[in-house]
Formats: sequence, C-alpha cells, structure tokens
Amino acid sequence: MKKTSEWKIHGLVLVLVVISELIGAKSIKIGPGTAVLLPMLYALVIGLSLGPKGFKIVNKEEMKLASPLIGVSALLLIAKYGTTIGPAVPLLIKAGPALLAQELGNLGTVLIAFPIAMMLGFGREAIGAVHSIAREPNIAIISDMYGLDTPEGRGVMGVYICGTLFGAILFGLMAGFFASLNIFHPYALAMACGVGSASMMAASSGALTATVPHMAQEIQAFASASNLLTAADGVYASVFLAIPLTEWLYRKFHKQESVQAVSAAPQEEEE
Amino acid sequence: MNIKENFRILVIVAVVTLVGNLAGFKINPIEALPGMLILLGIVMLGLLLSKIIPSKLPSIVYISLIGIVLTVPGFPGSAWFTEQAGKVQFLALCTPILAYAGIASGKDLDDFKKLGWRIMVVSLFTFVGTFIGSAIIAQIVLKLTGQI
Repeated sequence: MKKTSEWKIHGLVLVLVVISELIGAKSIKIGPGTAVLLPMLYALVIGLSLGPKGFKIVNKEEMKLASPLIGVSALLLIAKYGTTIGPAVPLLIKAGPALLAQELGNLGTVLIAFPIAMMLGFGREAIGAVHSIAREPNIAIISDMYGLDTPEGRGVMGVYICGTLFGAILFGLMAGFFASLNIFHPYALAMACGVGSASMMAASSGALTATVPHMAQEIQAFASASNLLTAADGVYASVFLAIPLTEWLYRKFHKQESVQAVSAAPQEEEE
Repeated sequence: MNIKENFRILVIVAVVTLVGNLAGFKINPIEALPGMLILLGIVMLGLLLSKIIPSKLPSIVYISLIGIVLTVPGFPGSAWFTEQAGKVQFLALCTPILAYAGIASGKDLDDFKKLGWRIMVVSLFTFVGTFIGSAIIAQIVLKLTGQI
C-alpha cells in the first residue's frame, strides 16, 4: 500500500517536471527591473495546489510521504554544487574575503526587519522572526536557546513556513530584479543568492544567470559556495552576533517595561 | 532511511531529472547519463563515508567535498568530470526538488493560514534584508580587495 502511493508521488513529480520545463523560463517587467519566473517555481506552485485544499489529487498521508523525498532529491543538487565549485576554486580563493564577510549580511536582516516587527506590534516573537532567514539550522538554534513553544519559537516557525512556501519565488524575483537594476556586481548578487535554503539559492541564482548569461559559471560557483558557507558558519553568525544584537535592540525598545526579561522568561504577549 | 532505500529513490529522481533535462534544455538523456552517474556516485560515496567515519558531520559535507575534489583543476581527469557533470543542468536538478517540496508543503498551507498577515510582512522584510545585506557587504569587500 505504502509503496503504491510513493510511486504516485514520483509519477506526479515527473508530470510536474515535464509540464514546467516545457513552459520554460519567462521574464516579466516590474517597474525599472525584470523578474524571472523559472520552471522550478511552476513545479512548486502546481505541487502546492494538488493537496486536499486544492485539486485533492494527493491526501495528507501522501504529503507526509513526500517530505523526506525533498531531502534525498536535494543530495544530487549538492553533488552538483561540488562539481560547480571545484573548477572555480582558484576564483573562489581570490574572492574568499568577500565570501566570508557576506555571511554577516544576516545582520542586515535584523536592522531592516526588526523595526518593522516593532511597528507591527510583535513581542518577543520578533527575536525568532528577524534574527535570521529562518532555515532549518536557525530553528534548531532557537529551539535550543528558547524552545519552540515560546514566542521566539513561534516567530522563527512563522518565518520558516513563509520561507518554505514563498521563499524560492521571492528570491527568484529579487535576484532578477536587482540584476536588472545594475547597482550590484553580479558576483556580489551571486553570493547573496546563497544566504537561504537550497531552493532559494537555486531560484535566485537561476534568475540571475538568466539575466547575465555570460557569467553563468561564475554565478553558480559563487552562489553554491556561499550557500555551503551559510550552512557551515551561519550557525555561529546567528548565535554569537545576530541573536545578541536582536536581544539588545529588543531591550532598548522595551527599556521601560522589561529590563529583567533578558533571556528566558517568555512574556504573555499574544497576537 | 537506509542507504539502499536512498539509492532506490535517488535513481528515480535521476531518471526524472534526465527527462526534465531533455524537456527543458534539449539535452539527450544518453548524452547526460555519464554526468548523472557521476553525481549519483558522488552522493552514494558521500552517504557511505558519513556512515563509516565516526563524526557528527552531515553527509552533505562529504558529498560536496567529493564533488569539489573530483573537479578541482589538477585532479586527474577533473576536466572530464567537469564536462560530464555540466551536461546535467543545474536548473534541471532543481525542478524535481521543488516539485516534491510543493506536494509536501501543501500541508503547511493550514499552518500558514493561522499565522496572519503580520508575520508575512515581517518575513518579507527578513528575506529582503538578508539578501540586500549580503549583497552590500559582498560588493564592498569585492571592491576593496580589487576583485571587481
């Protein structure tokens, strides 16, 4: 029984892949820039629509069965990362300082998103929500430091779910858009493509490549290297820099009310 | 999931990817087969190593490292490995992953509805903030070190 429904998922994936690839990449104009829609995004959106809330083609059990398949299928992409990075090792060594430094881009998140979270009236959820881009390692960190059953935990899970559903789409649009604006060098944008999950990186570096095709090789190498580095050192950037910075900002903002509520004590603020 | 089970699924994904590689990039599956077998071999070797070597490093560390070593200039046959792996398009590998993710994430839509619009707005700024933050720092350091 279990086997048959797994084959159904593979069959559906094959259909989604063929349809999506045949539609192909499309560029759309947004104001001064261009965004690129890639086949993987069609596959994601159609896949989302197959559930009980949509076309009812897959049920809850089959969705659960599909979850571990994401990780296994991503392994081939990781191997491809390796073979993309290898030939570019000399170039990557030259760009090493930039690659390492851009990991601190996470702090940009805190500075931009924290004020927005405060304006919207968030409590300590903000610490989970804005300290990082909220991928799996960040959930593990927040879970470890605060627990997931806390405001901080709800914050990080909220951003995680949004990222799972719309991260790839948003990253694809962002990368294409910024590339067409010509503010940043494609190398810098390629490194920025690697800050999130593998699918965010795939969507954004794909869109970037479509906009600057003559740099395709370098873009993929920088994005892959940045993505691997994020997995390796992103944890430390979160634990030692981003979370303390967010906590500090939070204390500044709530100075009058809660000087003592430094670390543990979850507050009773509800949505 | 044991290694045999992983292998079975990887072969299925490899076939799906080769079909996508044909549909989207007009690359004959037979032409791309050696490249796909190389990628498959790298993954299996990486999974095996992470089982044998007693450390807590996740298997993706081994998999990516093997891929890098095989294709780094100077390694015997690196040019051939690079050329073959290049016939499996990066984007063709991504589409099946997101198809699985789409099917699996349908269940997250319920959780998502409970979140409310405020967390969506914050998420948007979180993603844009990380992307721009990273691009700005990369741009500055690349300029300072004379790479661009």
